Amino acid sequence: MRSKKEVQGLTISAPVSRDRWLVGVTMGILLAILAFFMLYPVYDICKLSFLKEGMFTLKNYQSYFSNPRMFRSLTNSLYVSFVTTVITTFFSFFFAYGLTRTTIPGKNIFYTISTFPLIAPSIIQGLALILLFGRNGLITRHLLNTDWNIYGATGIIVAECLYCFPNALFILYTTLSAVDTRLDEAAQSLGASALKTFFKVTLPSAKYGIASAAALVFNLTITDFGVPVVIGGNYSVLATEIYQQVIGMQRFDLGATISVILLIPSVGAFLLNYYLTKRSYALISGQARPFLQPSRPFKKWAFTIYCWIPSAFILIVFITVFAGSLVKTWPYDFTLTLQHFDFPSLGGNAPLWTKFWASVLDGEWKSLIAYKYAPIWNSLWVSVLVALGGASLTLLAGYVVEKKRPRGVGILYTLSVLPAAIPGTVMGLGYILAFNKPYFFIYGTFWIIIINIIICNFTLGTLSSIANLKQIDRSIEEAAISLGADPIKTFTQVVFPLTKTAFFSNITFFFMRAMTTISAVIFLVSAKVKLAAIEIIFLDIDGRTASANAMCTIIILLVVAMLVAMRLITGKSGLKGMSATA
Amino acid sequence: MGRNLQLENLTKRFGNLTAVDHVNLEIEEGEFICFLGPSGCGKTTVLRMITGFETVTEGKIIFDGKVINDLIPQKREFGIVFQSYALFPNMTVEENIAFGLKVRKRPKKEIEERVDQMLDLVGLREWRKLYPAQLSGGQQQRVALVRALAPDPQVLLLDEPLSALDAKIRVRLRAEIKRLQQELKKTMIYVTHDQEEALSIADRVVVMEAGQFRQVGRPVEIYQSPNSSFVADFVGTSNFFRGVRNGDRVQTERRDFRIARFESLTEREIFLAIRPEKIEVFKLGEFPEGVEKSNLARGRIDVITFLGAAVRLTINLEGEEVISDIIEKEFSRKEFKQGEEVHLYFPPEAFMVFSAKEGSR
Repeated sequence: MRSKKEVQGLTISAPVSRDRWLVGVTMGILLAILAFFMLYPVYDICKLSFLKEGMFTLKNYQSYFSNPRMFRSLTNSLYVSFVTTVITTFFSFFFAYGLTRTTIPGKNIFYTISTFPLIAPSIIQGLALILLFGRNGLITRHLLNTDWNIYGATGIIVAECLYCFPNALFILYTTLSAVDTRLDEAAQSLGASALKTFFKVTLPSAKYGIASAAALVFNLTITDFGVPVVIGGNYSVLATEIYQQVIGMQRFDLGATISVILLIPSVGAFLLNYYLTKRSYALISGQARPFLQPSRPFKKWAFTIYCWIPSAFILIVFITVFAGSLVKTWPYDFTLTLQHFDFPSLGGNAPLWTKFWASVLDGEWKSLIAYKYAPIWNSLWVSVLVALGGASLTLLAGYVVEKKRPRGVGILYTLSVLPAAIPGTVMGLGYILAFNKPYFFIYGTFWIIIINIIICNFTLGTLSSIANLKQIDRSIEEAAISLGADPIKTFTQVVFPLTKTAFFSNITFFFMRAMTTISAVIFLVSAKVKLAAIEIIFLDIDGRTASANAMCTIIILLVVAMLVAMRLITGKSGLKGMSATA
Repeated sequence: MGRNLQLENLTKRFGNLTAVDHVNLEIEEGEFICFLGPSGCGKTTVLRMITGFETVTEGKIIFDGKVINDLIPQKREFGIVFQSYALFPNMTVEENIAFGLKVRKRPKKEIEERVDQMLDLVGLREWRKLYPAQLSGGQQQRVALVRALAPDPQVLLLDEPLSALDAKIRVRLRAEIKRLQQELKKTMIYVTHDQEEALSIADRVVVMEAGQFRQVGRPVEIYQSPNSSFVADFVGTSNFFRGVRNGDRVQTERRDFRIARFESLTEREIFLAIRPEKIEVFKLGEFPEGVEKSNLARGRIDVITFLGAAVRLTINLEGEEVISDIIEKEFSRKEFKQGEEVHLYFPPEAFMVFSAKEGSR
């Protein structure tokens, strides 16, 4: 700090700038939250995997790698992730190409359909595939009457491909619509054939986007829990193996060890994706979208048909799950019924809501809505709190990082984007290890779940806040300050109104994630604290597939209702840019 | 004595880069000061230090007898007008103007009156309910101007306020700002890279280069007696010759000019500069009488550029290029043609002389 300076005996003492103080405190709080609820659990996992009675040991790793059954989960994970990455990147690239570089009809329909997997838990892909190709699948059992079924690696790969499709598509769509199409035109005017242009110009200019999409798919697949747990059968992957060891065998040490092993590829893929996304955006030119030449008829037809393939798959998944929840006995008796929505007594109790419904309803409705639907009310109110809390915290974090840049802001930025690198199952286990202590009073309540979901999805929230705040001219804030507004007024009256759109889209994002997330919170739910998305898994494990479908349907309907509501409030579609990265 | 603003050895370093290098200036209350310089010369950094958005590395900013280096921006009560207007897009014109008064919690009645007064000042009364996006650039900058003036700031700082506007509007708004300044007698500090703007608007101009104040003076002083070849070149246009002094003459590569004044210059190596409008152009037939013969030269008109009221002739003097401006009336009368051979006369008293050591152009 500068010393006070004297002029003619008069001095204005430096008022400890309230602005700087406020920014410092805000950053301190955010850092404390991220450190305590993200780093600490991961640290506990590492500690448990490497320490035995206070001594450093590799014994856990030894027993993991020497047990072929456990070791297989690593090779299995790498295998399904690799295959999924190749297939998804390939399909989504040409899908994005069709949407950005050809003049096929129905682009909006394709785009909308491709976003569907984001509004449902990843598990929906697994449920649909089981209904169609499972042991009692409509196609395998009913139509073909074969003993083959989709359980295992094939099922995981197909389901993950569908789940990851929109995420990869968003990156490639952005890349391809940003790369200057005039380059293609220039190449063709110089005499290059269409095919040569594609391989020599289009493909190289999109290489960072392609690689970044691939890294993201790899990360999403290797960390996913919902799909392998329903369709994996005996095929164990890292994410499910952690759950097996911890919940099934109570082997926390092995769970922690597998978590560390899973962290390596997932953090690697995350870093790669992060690095490549930056490289890819550096290639974006300002005037990238001149008039698109009408495609030749053959190209148009080929791409229209091509784009219908993934779209049809996605539609079939949703229709199948809806249908599966509405018919009596899939696939034998297709009589329509709502009986599966009357869940086998899940029991449970939703704070506030159970009391409320019990007081206004009677008889069967009372037991259905107030008690059997308790997990849904839980999910709803957890989601609302996650949405509000997550959107506010990430806006604050984005504001500090992008606009205030105090000393040490790099640490805040790193911690804010790091959560995406940590698999949900690892985070879930970390929460048990770190917070399952008697003095930690929020453990075993909804609050720990709310915090967990916010932290797990902190990355995208912060990145989208930053992207939005970047668009606000620095002068606007300075104008407010120079006019005499203090930091709080500047934020509430000028900055916040200008980021409202991003704030609402973050609310939507956090709500969706809270309604559909499975991997981390499965460790945190209990008989007293139940969530709708987790109930899908338990219903499925109990063999109540139809009810699992019904629960999935209800979640989708609630998310869609939320999207419609947000659209009415903000006048904008909430889905664009909702993928798992910015 | 009024509330003066003083810069004392003001310095700003960004790492190893010195953006502003020990500058000193005293600005009197009610004065209109213009910082003029090429981009990257540090003029905006000086302004931002005065506003408080940039910290001071060394030196002092003194206002009304008090050092305000560490005073936070919102306590300085300096109004700012930004190049990008920086109007709040979520507020109407009148809400924008009222903002500074509202955050100071002035009574409602007073705010209303003040907003009306401000709207009248720039003739935007009927636009008051509109949002910034519905206004033209010129109107937006007028709103920004009165928004900054509304809380009655001690000093108004304008950071290239007209750079984003069309040429015509720029000239009109420039005149409006000047009129406002004279009416309100407010201290204004204006940053620009446009020399014409600076010369036409300011009471005093500060010419900056490489973080330093090269010359401070009234516009006419700056134009007529630049203190360095940099200023002579940056402000207005000049023809330059490098030469060696020999008594009252300067020997250049091809010529031997007689010079009327050398000021206090003692060096032998000399830079000569002469404004284009000071060079006289004659048809070959009308050879001028009673002039210094050695300051005459013969050349060929290479390019004729029509500038409106004046015409710029680019004349080739045996390989040396010289620019001469003549008024349009004279040009029409004498009917100069491209490729025509002409005589040029460089009046001895029109030369400005600089030491050659201070750097080439």
